[in-house]
Amino acid sequence: MTRPAVCRPAIPSVGLQESTRTLHYIDGQMTFTGAVGAIFMFPLSAIIRICVVLRIHPNVLTFIGVCINLAAAWALGVGRFVLAGFIMVAANLFDFIDGKVAHQTGTASAFGGFWDSVMDRFSDLALFLGLVYLYASLQRADYVLITALAMTFTVLTSYARARAESLIDKCKVGFMERPERIVLFMIGAFTNRMAAVLWVILVLSVLTVAGRIYHTWRELEGRGVTA
Amino acid sequence: MSARTAPLEERLPLPLLFFWRIFYWTYERTTIPYDLMVIAILAFVWLTPPDWLGDPTAHGMGWLGRLLGW
Repeated sequence: MTRPAVCRPAIPSVGLQESTRTLHYIDGQMTFTGAVGAIFMFPLSAIIRICVVLRIHPNVLTFIGVCINLAAAWALGVGRFVLAGFIMVAANLFDFIDGKVAHQTGTASAFGGFWDSVMDRFSDLALFLGLVYLYASLQRADYVLITALAMTFTVLTSYARARAESLIDKCKVGFMERPERIVLFMIGAFTNRMAAVLWVILVLSVLTVAGRIYHTWRELEGRGVTA
Repeated sequence: MSARTAPLEERLPLPLLFFWRIFYWTYERTTIPYDLMVIAILAFVWLTPPDWLGDPTAHGMGWLGRLLGW
């Protein structure tokens, strides 16, 4: 989860529970994905509080998350998908809470945002490499290629946004961002549907990159519609 | 704004606008379009038979096969 690259010296006045109470409602009705998010926030907010009390530095949480993700990549590489799914849940728990802990402890920093982003890319690539190894060992060149393509467009998705936002104000276009990718990886691992997941990631990542290129071109050409 | 200078999405007919919105996705998470997209993705992932995709780690006709008795 990307942390904002801003320095916040004080604990924000709106607490986590306050903000999540209103986050998932559209015109008074809760959406399906909002409800899922709200359910998962209950245990997460407890873990966040523990980390805040123990004053664990968010950069350390980020690093622990990456190390656990490497174990998930290994599990994917040896075809132990369910184990990989559980490890990914643990790894992304750290990834999710680091930003919240940074805010609540007032340790959010520009470097923290940078560190988090770089480690996120590393985690992503590690998972894909695990699958490349698995399919290569099964002698499935077709799925090695699909995984490599999905990996390429995953990197391009992040790069396109980062580069675009050095030229324009915001480039938050496209469906397939990191949280969606990670949840899909978990679904693929737990239900042994990794091939379908890879196809979804590939197609939607291509669309996301193309959408970001189009959006940046449109903004730079002065035809802007803010996204 | 003339028809030529209007943004592309304002000139598209409804069926094409549907595909345009998927390509040029600007919806936030926890919105109705986002939910519909999630449901479509889950349906594809869980219902597409692994054999159709040549899945190296799963075989058979999957949940769709079970539902339709294949």
